[in-house]
Amino acid sequence: MSENNEKKVHGIVAEYTSVDSLLNACRRVRDAGYKKTDAFAPFAVHGIEKALGIKPTVLPWIVFGCGAVGAIVGLTMQIWMNSIDYPYIISGKPMISLPAFIPVAYELTILFAAFGAFFGMWALNGLPRFSNPIFTDPRFDRVTDDRFFLYIDAKDEQFDEAGVRQLFGDTGTEYIQTVVDDDSSSKVPKGFFIAWAAVIGLSVIPVLVVLKMRLTKSSLPRFHVFFDMDFSPAKDAQQTTTLFADGRAMRPDVAGTVARGDMLIDMDYMTGIDMEALTQVDARRAERLVRSFADPSPQQEGEQPPVADTEETSAPAEKTAEETGVQEEATGETESAAPAAAPSVMDTTPWLTQNPLPLNKQLLERGQTYFGIYCSVCHGLNGGGNGLVNRRAQKILATNWIPPSKLNQPTLAQDVYPDGKLFNTISNGIRKMPGYAAQITTRDRWAIVAYVRALQQSQNASINEVPAAEREAILKQQAEVKKQLEEQAAAEAAQANAEPGDN
Amino acid sequence: MSLAIPNGLDNTVERPGERAPLVLGETDYHEITETVCQVAERKPSTSWVIGFLVSFALLQWLGICILYLIYTGVGVWGNRSPIFWGWPIVNFVFWVGIGHAGTLISAILFLFRQEWRTSINRAAEAMTIFAVACAGTFPGIHVGRAWLAFWLAPYPSLNLWMWPQFRSPLLWDVFAVSTYGTVSLLFWYMGMVPDLATFRDRSKNKWRRMAYGILSLGWSGSSRHWMRYEKAYALLAALAAPLVLSVNTIVSFDFAVSQVPGWHTTIFPPYFVAGAIFSGFAMVLTLMIPSRKMLGLEKLITIRHLDNMCKIILATGSMVGLAYGTEFFIAWYGQVQEEKFAFINRAFGPYWWAYWTMVTCNVISPQLFWVKKFRTTPWIIFIITIFVNIGMWFERFVIVVTSLSRDYVPSAWAYFSPTWVDWSMLIGSFGLFMTLFLLFCRLMPVINMAETKSTLAKQIHLEEHGYGNH
Repeated sequence: MSENNEKKVHGIVAEYTSVDSLLNACRRVRDAGYKKTDAFAPFAVHGIEKALGIKPTVLPWIVFGCGAVGAIVGLTMQIWMNSIDYPYIISGKPMISLPAFIPVAYELTILFAAFGAFFGMWALNGLPRFSNPIFTDPRFDRVTDDRFFLYIDAKDEQFDEAGVRQLFGDTGTEYIQTVVDDDSSSKVPKGFFIAWAAVIGLSVIPVLVVLKMRLTKSSLPRFHVFFDMDFSPAKDAQQTTTLFADGRAMRPDVAGTVARGDMLIDMDYMTGIDMEALTQVDARRAERLVRSFADPSPQQEGEQPPVADTEETSAPAEKTAEETGVQEEATGETESAAPAAAPSVMDTTPWLTQNPLPLNKQLLERGQTYFGIYCSVCHGLNGGGNGLVNRRAQKILATNWIPPSKLNQPTLAQDVYPDGKLFNTISNGIRKMPGYAAQITTRDRWAIVAYVRALQQSQNASINEVPAAEREAILKQQAEVKKQLEEQAAAEAAQANAEPGDN
Repeated sequence: MSLAIPNGLDNTVERPGERAPLVLGETDYHEITETVCQVAERKPSTSWVIGFLVSFALLQWLGICILYLIYTGVGVWGNRSPIFWGWPIVNFVFWVGIGHAGTLISAILFLFRQEWRTSINRAAEAMTIFAVACAGTFPGIHVGRAWLAFWLAPYPSLNLWMWPQFRSPLLWDVFAVSTYGTVSLLFWYMGMVPDLATFRDRSKNKWRRMAYGILSLGWSGSSRHWMRYEKAYALLAALAAPLVLSVNTIVSFDFAVSQVPGWHTTIFPPYFVAGAIFSGFAMVLTLMIPSRKMLGLEKLITIRHLDNMCKIILATGSMVGLAYGTEFFIAWYGQVQEEKFAFINRAFGPYWWAYWTMVTCNVISPQLFWVKKFRTTPWIIFIITIFVNIGMWFERFVIVVTSLSRDYVPSAWAYFSPTWVDWSMLIGSFGLFMTLFLLFCRLMPVINMAETKSTLAKQIHLEEHGYGNH
């Protein structure tokens, strides 16, 4: 005991072998009036709080507070990030879509509360604490095995070494020991600090390297850790590959491919204009037309086309619309409005007079189909100019409506309105009518031209033009229709007379 | 039967008015310490060394495959349009499910005062953490550019100037799984501190003593510390219990919030949670049956523990079976053509073999546990739980692959075939799991000594003061 006298006494500890003996000792120590006491056990002994008079912990409130902070942080983080700082709408949800924000807020509530429970508990317990005077006694090692210890601190008001030993002696303990200061060196080995500094130093290096790269400018190419999509693995033209059977990286063109500018164009067929004749009349215009078909990109030369080249379009046929100058109103029913002085370009253009496609039943049927799809809505199925759109326009008294032409009127007959001109009108439009070059192929436009001619003929035909074999059937049918119409007219007249009386 | 229990006492028999003992033999506190500490203190057994080397080799192989994947690109997997999720997500959901038993045993059984949990919870929690580690690996590498996976975190980026999309279930998943991993780790570590102090105090070697000394944070066993510790443990259990249920709920949202036929169902959250508990318990038993034998822990992990876990497997297995039936019923009752097709296609389409493997393993095999003989014979339990593990992997395969391979547009349909990388990564993830588990067996207290001693104290108290007075 003599060497212990020089060291500071922290308290006295006694050892017990069972829960019951510990609890009994605790109660006696408590009843003796000691306040600064503690018991040590290998597991949580139930009832010891009461036996020692330990107050309940505030830990649940810390956990509750942390959980509340977690919930608030979770919600405000999501609202701020997705609705305020970088607002974006996902699947039509409102900016602050609480139901979608609940899962993350819920998880963060639990995470923060768990941190509160974990770190709060260690903080309240004053741990980690690696140097504890109670560990100086090797016998105390058994506290984590099978022994129980009761300790009275020297700071207790009633503390008196002899008195405590006396009290402990009465509780049936076999071992009482004074707890003294830990006299082992408190110096941490130097190597530990060196290692610590080395770890810190080394871990800072990558951060510094990254910072330098971010903050300074360099003329060297970017350093790629991962290539991402910065470098394409595409092959060069003459390289080989294993992907294709022929081993060539460069693929041959798809069958039927025509390179730009290499297409052989039948200009007459494409424009409906007799190009040879046009060249003689107006060579420059013919040249521009050809160029616009051969190279649809905007012309770079200084020469300006006669019509303003403001609308850049990709379809060659639409380009022609400007070239040929359909903007000038020159034909149809508004002929009288045309300027009398200068003849319209529509009249001076040498149009093709004949459909370049051979006439046959197949072509006419094709033309009928496409006329039905695109033309009949305005011009009517019989070309009479009274399609559904026109009827509707008349019904609502549309003020800016220009009625579509009756296709069988004399001004559109083949001799005054050549096939080429009709083709041009279909392709590029006229007045209210838009151009159909973008929707209907060249061949089908010519088919429509052929069908319109047939329509014109049918609307102005006499019975004598019908083959003799079918004449009789037609006449019979005509009589029947006529009779039906008369009956219908009579019935309608009767009804019309009756109606006012009803009212 | 008596062979399975060392001292011949059958603690699976219910005696009226008595509590069945959970710690067997003429034991005392010191013997519990000795039994548990010898696992880590003795020289490693040959079977441990072989097991560790095999697991470690598989782990290396997983690492090599991941490097190969990152270097080459995700095309090394069998993932093809339209099955973009493939095995990585199957494995992710599988491992997350495995990770549910640990915290369930620790938290929910703790809250229900099921004291039989004390000797199994430590290993089960460790399993949870290792399974979550395996699970976290897969979405991390499945994002395509794995080196940018940190973009999932809501950090103020100087390159992107934008934030993650918090209305997406995939981001909920990031938060759910990482929170779950973190809380499980805290729970596991906190539970271990008193036992690490035991390890510290028994260490003869200076370095070992120092390492365990740091890990145990200077734990002295003070009753004030114990009181706060117990309170913190109960609070963590109360927090972890809803967390367990939320994690697989959110994992199921990955599927259920989408529009894919076969995924877009409200039954997914409860169905996934039941499946996760089912698979988690199966994995706990698969590992515990051989290890209790090898580590000599039969007195602490008794037949009664196995019996109880088998009952949970039976219950959750039946729930999973009910969920399969309900899915089919709703597909028919809902009268949505795509939905109906999805389920008929599951059972009778090109993946019929996977579906019926799943049904056989998950619905039929656990029904054997109605028989007590099967619940109390370790080798039978072992075989059945292996089947359950296989079945639960197939369940995730069926959900992910059959639905994706045939959704709305028949012209986009395809058949999934895994590559050698897929296989390697599945097997490699078991390497990761087993490596961590075997290291844990050697380095950490495999059984919660403090709690087991506390159970024993109660047992002693009851024996001395009689039953019914307490």
